[in-house]
Amino acid sequence: MLDGSRAHPVPALVAAVTGIINGTTMILGAIAIGWATDHLIVPALAGDDVGRAAWWIAAGAILGVSTLRWMTIIARGIATGFVQHGSQADVRRAVVDRYLHLGLSWHRRHAPGQLLSTAVADVDALWLPMLNFYFTLGMVVMLVVAIIEMFLRAATLGLVGVALVLAVLGLNLLYQRVLAPRAAAAQAQRGVFGALALESIDGGQVVRTLGLVDRERARVGAAAHGLREANFAMGLVSSVFDPVIELLPTVAVLGVLAVGAHQVESGELSVGVLVEVVYLLLTISIPLNVISRFLSMLPISTAGRTRVAAVIHSTETTGHGDQTLTSPPDGEPAPPDGEPVLRAGGIGLRARGAGYAVGGIQLLSDVDLDIAPGEIVALVGATGSGKSTLVDLLGRQLDPSEGVVEIGGVPAAELGRGQIAARLAVVSQSPWLFAGSVRENLQLDGHPREHRPYTDAELWRALASAGAENVVRALPAGLDTRVGERGARLSGGQRQRLCLARALVREPGVLLLDDATSALDPAVERDVLAAIAELRGRVTVLIVGGRPSSVLVADRVAFLRAGRLAAVGTHPELLATEPEYRRILHAYADHSSHPGHGWHPDHGWHPDHGSGDE
Amino acid sequence: MSSTNPASAPAPARLADLAGARGRTLVHLLRTTTPMLTSGLALTLLLAFVAGAGRIVTPLTVQYALDHGLLHPHTGTADVVLRAVGVGAGATVLAAAASGWLNRRVFRRTEAALAQLRADGVARIHEISYERFARIPSADLVSRLTSDLDTVTTFVQNGGVLLLVNAAQMVIAAVLISIYSWQLALPVLAAAALLLIVMRRIQAVVGRRFSVVRERVSAMQSVIGEAITGIAVIRSTGTERRSRAAADESIEQVAAAQRHTLVPLHTNTALGEVAISFITTFIVIAGVRWSVDNTWWEPGLDLSAGELVALLLLVTFFVRPLQLLVTMLGEVQSAVAGWRRAIEVLATPSAVVAGPGARELPPGPIAVDLHGVAASYGDAASYGDAADTVGVAANVGVAAGGDSAANARDIAAGDGSLALRDVTIGIDPGEHVAVVGETGSGKSTFARLLTRQLSARRGRVLLGGIPIAQVCDRSFQRRIAIVPQDPFLFDATIADNILAGVHGDIRAPEALEALDEIVDSLGLRPWIDTLPDGVDTRVGVRGGRLSAGERQLVALARTALVDPDLLVLDEATSGVDPATDVRVQHALDALTVGRTTISIAHRMVTAERADRILVFDDGRIVQNGRHADLVTRPGRYADLHAVWVDHTLAADHVPHPREEQAEGAGDEHRESATRHTLRNDRST
Repeated sequence: MLDGSRAHPVPALVAAVTGIINGTTMILGAIAIGWATDHLIVPALAGDDVGRAAWWIAAGAILGVSTLRWMTIIARGIATGFVQHGSQADVRRAVVDRYLHLGLSWHRRHAPGQLLSTAVADVDALWLPMLNFYFTLGMVVMLVVAIIEMFLRAATLGLVGVALVLAVLGLNLLYQRVLAPRAAAAQAQRGVFGALALESIDGGQVVRTLGLVDRERARVGAAAHGLREANFAMGLVSSVFDPVIELLPTVAVLGVLAVGAHQVESGELSVGVLVEVVYLLLTISIPLNVISRFLSMLPISTAGRTRVAAVIHSTETTGHGDQTLTSPPDGEPAPPDGEPVLRAGGIGLRARGAGYAVGGIQLLSDVDLDIAPGEIVALVGATGSGKSTLVDLLGRQLDPSEGVVEIGGVPAAELGRGQIAARLAVVSQSPWLFAGSVRENLQLDGHPREHRPYTDAELWRALASAGAENVVRALPAGLDTRVGERGARLSGGQRQRLCLARALVREPGVLLLDDATSALDPAVERDVLAAIAELRGRVTVLIVGGRPSSVLVADRVAFLRAGRLAAVGTHPELLATEPEYRRILHAYADHSSHPGHGWHPDHGWHPDHGSGDE
Repeated sequence: MSSTNPASAPAPARLADLAGARGRTLVHLLRTTTPMLTSGLALTLLLAFVAGAGRIVTPLTVQYALDHGLLHPHTGTADVVLRAVGVGAGATVLAAAASGWLNRRVFRRTEAALAQLRADGVARIHEISYERFARIPSADLVSRLTSDLDTVTTFVQNGGVLLLVNAAQMVIAAVLISIYSWQLALPVLAAAALLLIVMRRIQAVVGRRFSVVRERVSAMQSVIGEAITGIAVIRSTGTERRSRAAADESIEQVAAAQRHTLVPLHTNTALGEVAISFITTFIVIAGVRWSVDNTWWEPGLDLSAGELVALLLLVTFFVRPLQLLVTMLGEVQSAVAGWRRAIEVLATPSAVVAGPGARELPPGPIAVDLHGVAASYGDAASYGDAADTVGVAANVGVAAGGDSAANARDIAAGDGSLALRDVTIGIDPGEHVAVVGETGSGKSTFARLLTRQLSARRGRVLLGGIPIAQVCDRSFQRRIAIVPQDPFLFDATIADNILAGVHGDIRAPEALEALDEIVDSLGLRPWIDTLPDGVDTRVGVRGGRLSAGERQLVALARTALVDPDLLVLDEATSGVDPATDVRVQHALDALTVGRTTISIAHRMVTAERADRILVFDDGRIVQNGRHADLVTRPGRYADLHAVWVDHTLAADHVPHPREEQAEGAGDEHRESATRHTLRNDRST
């Protein structure tokens, strides 16, 4: 709570001061009522003349204290809100910032729903007690004043008050002890439910088409049940402690009365002292209640804090060096004595003994691959052979668990922040768009190196190269049509083309296409690949895909088999030396050669064909 | 229904909007969705009254002990006091017990209700019309079942029950005050009533502002969710700053909305305080004055000092709960706003077709007939939006509402955005039809239409002779299946995912046998064998540990196991390598026997094997026939096929550009050579 106050000093100060004043108004209020009782009620009802002044003072005192109180209520409430909501926002920003810094491997281990739950529910929980913090602060002051007052009257009275306070606080500590693990469990269960609910909703199409609604109700319902049990377990603790803590002062009053009555009867104790004890005990019961309520919120806060801290203190971020990529900007001549590596334009990529393992599973081992600047290389392999992992390594989405990846001749980890993103573009298998307009999706931060927004002409050129020009023209609001909502408007092929355009418009030095044309129909794919072939010499391109079309535009082919680089060479070389490569590349041709279907590469086209062309 | 979204955005399909719903409607919804909350209300209230009464009795005991014993000490004082203390202790114990029981009871019921809301909410989300569902961000839906409902738990556990007890205490105190002096009680109650009326007014403002908070929280969830799910793209484009700015903005928006609630919220609290001080002053002044020298228009009272002090004490027991009530107003509002957003999910009509109007599909392979069908992804509302009534949905509403809603939408949107226009086609039971066409020609729309992910704007779609909207969900789900291009996998093992559609125990030996069989028959064994844990390999969140192609293979197996009578494959193998693709296509040949199959494909290898081919172009079917016939006839299909041939076969016997070109030749030259070889091959 204190760090939140420090971060927002002005409202915190206002809230603290008004909170304390507000606490003292409770005492002032009691004094006002007491004055009215002694100077107005008792004498007047006894038939004495009290004078006009007494009436006005009584009314004025009660109303005056009240005015002070309601004014401090407003000021304290607003100032507290500023601290609480400001602190929530601060921590949320820090959590999101951390998410944006943490490595992809970290993200792949954490369910999005869980992360969302931390950024929202856990942060809320963390700052929940702030709501009553300054109120409680005022009550603490009031409690201290009341106890001092008790000590001033008589040391024994003060001790009774202190004993009561200690009893309540001790009970609260015990309460927190019991509650803390349950609060943590509830918060964890909240995350579990959030993750399952998000998964279920994201999988809505499968759920519907396979008729899994009942299964989902049961599956997610089980998590809801877990949350229910966890919340109830927390409630059970407070259902015992709350009434006990609340009624403890009352019990103390009754105890003092019972003991005191005998002493009054035997004259050991004056009535006045006993009455004072009783009233003071009743008075401090209010701040004790407020303080207890505040303390009971702390375990929830701690649970939230723990989960937030787990994110904020994660160190699995991607490290950066300070090297820069020095390839000449596109279109400009190479520096006179520039490195030969960069002369051809584009940026070279090199993997040396690169391997990647996750959870003890070796996805990729010992890959040595050298891609020259401006070269187009195709990466071919069976489904599951590690192609995407290699793309992740070469684009430094992941860091290799062994070996080194070099980009532009510099080890990837030594490159400065933003260097890779400014010159390297990736189009992944699953086209992912931001919720926003087409323009926003292409524009992002604008040109990564020239730090300016793209012109419409540039956007349209990229869209044309990606075969997406017609797609966007057909949209109701063209470039300004909102896309990226789940599913409805764009087909997979259309989204894929927008993602391609997003990569192309950045004019990268390296383009990594991870099966990025899989959803395009042959005619569009042909055009897109032709546009990519035109980048030869200027942009280094790695195309993942097993179809002959992508192999055709490549200078060389890298062939992956079961996580190892089996061969690198030209297409004809690999056809000759790698039977499995041949099997993949010839699959469609061989398939079509069944009787009744017209095609085989070696036999040509059976039925009279050709009239359909041109 | 006003939208709080930026005006530039097309109005998204929304859930039922309860922001303006009246109390009675909300109570009705409360009773129908979570009956456990309201059942046994009598006992709950009784406990609250016992706990509240216990709190009043104790201080009254003290007062009694002081007045009748201690202030006038005499022998026997101790006995009087002890009796009073005994009564007070009894009342305290009773109050504590009642409080504990009440807490327990309310917690249990509330949490049961919330769990029910959460489970039913998830189910309902899967039951609302797909078009509506597809346009609401996941994070918004999730927030309704998570953070929104969490506000209810927070409220109940942090003072909600206390509030109930205090309300009871307030009622008891009011009755006691009236017994002491109805003349004094009347103005006090009137002031309290006036206060409540004014507070309700302000509370309406507070409520609206809290609704805005909940909406902005939901928007913030969407933005933060995007930063999480899109991290790979953000990382590779180096646009962390942009995403951070968007998140910061949405976070600030939430904080701003929260701050916006502060002034009316605390003004309300302060009003309560003002009322309390006036009531207290009134009791003191009027209580004394009316007992001493009341003028003709004032009531005459005969209160003793002791009675007036007791009355003042009672007034504190009347106003202190009032105070608590107003200090907790924020939490109450927040909880109500959260609960309302959750219940909006359940108040959204289900699109499930069941009940008397629903029909079963006829047995065996399913015929498909479309007559003059048009479809679009227009921004016009989806089913039922026009009649977004708050009642919990009747189960058959889709078929009934269909026609008039469709007409309304036609007026709203022009034909320009039609994804399908005037499609008339019949597909026989058991036929294997391939659908080809360029991206955006309407192939996927056709698939969505047949699987009820989209409804026709015009025309009729019949499955097995039954209008598609009348086919009952049970029948639909068991008999019709689609494998989409980017299938979703659950964060579980491959086996769990494949067996997802199997009803019954997936750990039973028969299920595992079926699993083995389907893996073998689809030719997936070689792939499965490369995985470290075989079919027990975990696929990660959304199948993220598998490649796109691998996810497709799992989805194919999953669907094959359902054994549908109408199978729609929407580019279901686009991500797998050609060798695997061909292997799977062979296997699918066997699978398609005995069922109607519609394969949407841009790889002609699929089309070549079909009984018949439908060629789509710009939302229309432009060709319809057998591969052997279409391929020789000039037209769309022959063109598509020719390109495909370039694609797949060229590589085999065409000299590679590298071999033709001298090392270091100009780019332009090399490129034209590539084109040249493509052209050559096409005219083979």
